[in-house]
Amino acid sequence: MSTLTLNGVRKSFGALDVLQSIDLKLEDGEFLVLLGPSGCGKSTLLNIIAGLETPTAGDIRIGDKRVNDVHPKNRNIAMVFQSYALYPTMPVERNIGFGLEMRGVETDTRKRAVDGAARMLQVDHLLDRKPGQLSGGQRQRVAMGRAIVREPELFLFDEPLSNLDAKLRAEMRTEIKRLHNRLGTTVVYVTHDQIEAMTLGTRIAVMKGGVIQQLADPMTTYEKPANMFVAGFIGSPSMNFITGTLVRDGEHVGLTTDGNNPASIRLPRVAANLDALLGRKVVLGVRPESFQADGAAPDLTGTIDVVEPTGPDTLVVLALGNQTITARLGPKLTVATGETLGLSIQPDSISLFDPDSGNRIE
Amino acid sequence: MITTSRRARLGWNIATYAVLLTLTVFCIFPLLWTLLTSLKYEADIVTQTMQYIPKRITFENYVTIWTQSGFPTLVFNSFVVTATTVVLCLITGTLAAYSFSRFHYPGRGALMLGYLVIRMFPAVLMIIPLFILMRGVGLLDSRFGLALAYTSFLLPLFVWMLKGFFDAAPKELESAARIDGCTRIGAMIRIVLPLARNGLVATSVFVAIAAWNEFLFALMLTTSQGSRTWPVGLQLMVGEFQLPWGVLAAGGIISIIPVMILFAIVQRTMVHGITAGAVKG
Repeated sequence: MSTLTLNGVRKSFGALDVLQSIDLKLEDGEFLVLLGPSGCGKSTLLNIIAGLETPTAGDIRIGDKRVNDVHPKNRNIAMVFQSYALYPTMPVERNIGFGLEMRGVETDTRKRAVDGAARMLQVDHLLDRKPGQLSGGQRQRVAMGRAIVREPELFLFDEPLSNLDAKLRAEMRTEIKRLHNRLGTTVVYVTHDQIEAMTLGTRIAVMKGGVIQQLADPMTTYEKPANMFVAGFIGSPSMNFITGTLVRDGEHVGLTTDGNNPASIRLPRVAANLDALLGRKVVLGVRPESFQADGAAPDLTGTIDVVEPTGPDTLVVLALGNQTITARLGPKLTVATGETLGLSIQPDSISLFDPDSGNRIE
Repeated sequence: MITTSRRARLGWNIATYAVLLTLTVFCIFPLLWTLLTSLKYEADIVTQTMQYIPKRITFENYVTIWTQSGFPTLVFNSFVVTATTVVLCLITGTLAAYSFSRFHYPGRGALMLGYLVIRMFPAVLMIIPLFILMRGVGLLDSRFGLALAYTSFLLPLFVWMLKGFFDAAPKELESAARIDGCTRIGAMIRIVLPLARNGLVATSVFVAIAAWNEFLFALMLTTSQGSRTWPVGLQLMVGEFQLPWGVLAAGGIISIIPVMILFAIVQRTMVHGITAGAVKG
């Protein structure tokens, strides 16, 4: 168990800057998720922490020790790869114990450690098999077994669940969370799946273009996204963005949408003082579940474009002026395409962004 | 309709088999002819009417070439040269192929191309500079010198083939091994080489066969019985006034035995290795 500190870590491949000055500090036992689309530099950052790649600039510290020039094997880390990277020529037992074998741990001790890890991950009946004879989920478990058996200071996961089918992915996600709760080891976890990020992380670093866009706990990231990229990346269906101008609407503040067919939205009460922003052009961000069907005093009214019942909810796509919004409403909603629907917005659930920079307006 | 298509298919089948059979006979016949000749008495070889199947069988030719000429020495020399070549290729070629497959450094492309270009020059072109070079360093007429010369033109083949096999081995495995406690070289030896084993065997066999059968370099670079290999030795048995067909044939048959044994042993691995490399590489 240990802390991890990154100071001004940069990485360039020739003229291409993959990472631009990454700073973060991870406390002991934290679970950091690096979240972002393909090519945002999250895997490169993980490889730099692992020592598989060298940073162009900056410091990496594990505990109190600067590890920039420390070989991967001496960083006391363990990594689980997307492809699992199990050694195909070795049986499961040797796969799990390989790290201990390389460190010269005695056979008896090694065997006990391997058995313990295998039991914890329920692969103890597979120890004699080769990786080729295992299913995807079993390989995943073996790969995790290989990581935990060494009792490292730091776990690194590189999209470990992306090769599994949906059901297994959910199971293994729970398993990883349980494992983290039990072992309490510091984790850095790379994924492009926002559900994994939300459910697993104690903190999430949302990355784009080699820059951390927001580093915060999951709920803050979800409820108070730092910019439109973070807001749009996390949540499914993603946050509705409505561009318009803030206007006075009785005792409330309203938004008149852009375009030649403007619509009006009454903003709910929020903590911040919106009066200062009147007349300003903004992007209003509302999560689909922040809408409620409300016939009596709706904040906005639109025409139903599409109705998508998913079982637990009904997704309603609404035409609002020239823009469309998606609302996640209750399961037994009796509405039809073409009808007019009034929605209200929950208080304190909106975000306002600057249309030029995309940053959150507090 | 059905009958015509069936008939057409039958026609195709017959044509296919005819072509295959012709080619097979074309390939096998010289070998078979050598084998039959080696089993004939000298008097039965040069006759007025062609004798395909020997009337009397004798192993005299084999006894003669093995006891009354330097053939055992020649075969032994060939063994030494071939083994040395394979070992040289294995050590240098494996490292080179691994570096080409895994690292990007200035001059990598040029080096790889250079390796390929060497294969494009005819051996005759290389032989004089190589001869002068070998004489300069005192490796002329030595088995090691010959093996070195073989390595110079077999290494490119070895490196290029092996690179394909290394490319097919996932890089993440080495990353995992390095985190697990291996060095780069350790990861290569413990993880990548066992994976590329089939490729390694297949490539080594190619190199071994090429070195075993090589004639031109051996003819130019060896001058004495001490380092001469069997193809050269066999050719030198052709005298001005006599052509000992039976003995030559026996020598030929003896020389292909190691190749056949090698093939028999590694055939399965080799075919697997070649196809694996072809598909994934």
